[in-house]
Amino acid sequence: MKTATAYSTKKPVADAVEEVKRGFASVAPKMVVFFASTAYDPASLSKAMADAFPKAAVFGCSTAGEIVTGKMLKESVVAMAYSSDIIADVAVGVMEGIKEDRRGEGVSKVFRDFERHYGAKMADLDFSAYVGMILVDGMSVAEERLMDKIGDLTNVLFVGGSAGDDLQFARTYVYANGKAYTDAAILTLLKPANRFDIVKTQSFRATGKRLIATRVNEAAREVISFNNKPAAESYAEAVGTTVENAPDHFMSHPLGLLVGEEIFVRSPQQIKDGKMVFYCNILEGTELALLTSTDIVGDTSAAIKAKNGPGAQIAGIINFNCILRTLELEKDSLTDAYGKVFADIPTVGFSTYGEEYLGHINQTATMLVLR
Amino acid sequence: MPGQIKTMIDKIITVRAHGNPTLIITTKTKLMLKGIDPDKFGAGSEDDPGIIDKLRKLAQELSVAL
Repeated sequence: MKTATAYSTKKPVADAVEEVKRGFASVAPKMVVFFASTAYDPASLSKAMADAFPKAAVFGCSTAGEIVTGKMLKESVVAMAYSSDIIADVAVGVMEGIKEDRRGEGVSKVFRDFERHYGAKMADLDFSAYVGMILVDGMSVAEERLMDKIGDLTNVLFVGGSAGDDLQFARTYVYANGKAYTDAAILTLLKPANRFDIVKTQSFRATGKRLIATRVNEAAREVISFNNKPAAESYAEAVGTTVENAPDHFMSHPLGLLVGEEIFVRSPQQIKDGKMVFYCNILEGTELALLTSTDIVGDTSAAIKAKNGPGAQIAGIINFNCILRTLELEKDSLTDAYGKVFADIPTVGFSTYGEEYLGHINQTATMLVLR
Repeated sequence: MPGQIKTMIDKIITVRAHGNPTLIITTKTKLMLKGIDPDKFGAGSEDDPGIIDKLRKLAQELSVAL
């Protein structure tokens, strides 16, 4: 087989990894990607996964819920194995100390390693032949800086997500080299054997109402004022509610940066003394659209169908699905329906603390589709 | 001389995208995520020194010589 997915809810780590390994008996893996609840000891899990597949590049991260072909799970480990029929080559790099790495030196260093591996400059690599993946400590608040630096240095697209910790918001982990890292990010550069796609889907449409961030505190991901008025007041006015009730509308009415038809969602987290704190950075002067929610299951299904046409059969999807989308699906008892969108396609993924594609985004699913 | 901002943006997009339609879109998106909306500036746009300074910095980050 070219790919295989496996999962386990067994504890302890050794039993779970053994079950995953059995699931991969039919594949000679060149790459194994795994995502796991923090119910598993991070260091033990990463070591056990690396030991189980000594001939493969093995990497992953901790989660706030897991996704595997046809299912959304909790307190599990999910994994996908890829043969060399799907992954022609892969290089994995670890960046540590990302919280304090203000100049993106970690990205430059890993990119130099990638250049040695592939024998080509990152700036010259063909973006249609290579694709990158990024897994970031979801508590680092470093995602914007990393994605910005990556975008500066290469045209190769990187897709990924921010690691979770089962909604404890204490410590998240990324996994590679048989180790568990925090305050770190994993970068991988893949040379897929066949055509690939990136899916970015969010279930919102613009309402036509605009808010301009007239004063911000970037470091704290805070907007102090929209349209020269206290941020919370402007937001509440746009939604048609009071400042007090505005948080009830955060999930259904986030803001979005519109780039042509594309929406880059910026999700409010809380109101603090009239200011609004977001789950990602908003730059001063940015014009944002007030969004209104649509149908997550329907929109995701349409996005996958658009990539899964005749003659373009998908070998595997890695799905980085925002935890806010997962919470919305849970609220509406739609997790089974969401899982079924991926029932016929080998899929692995997790509920993230943020999604990456060109930048850091919220309430979105970014996916790497390999054929 | 009005229009300097559009000239700088066009140069950045030309150098980074090499005329590839997908790269034109991703480069424009990167500029928007860095706080510059390329579609807001035309040949008659005023030469705002603040925006010009910002674009010089962005061009350097993107390894584009203006």
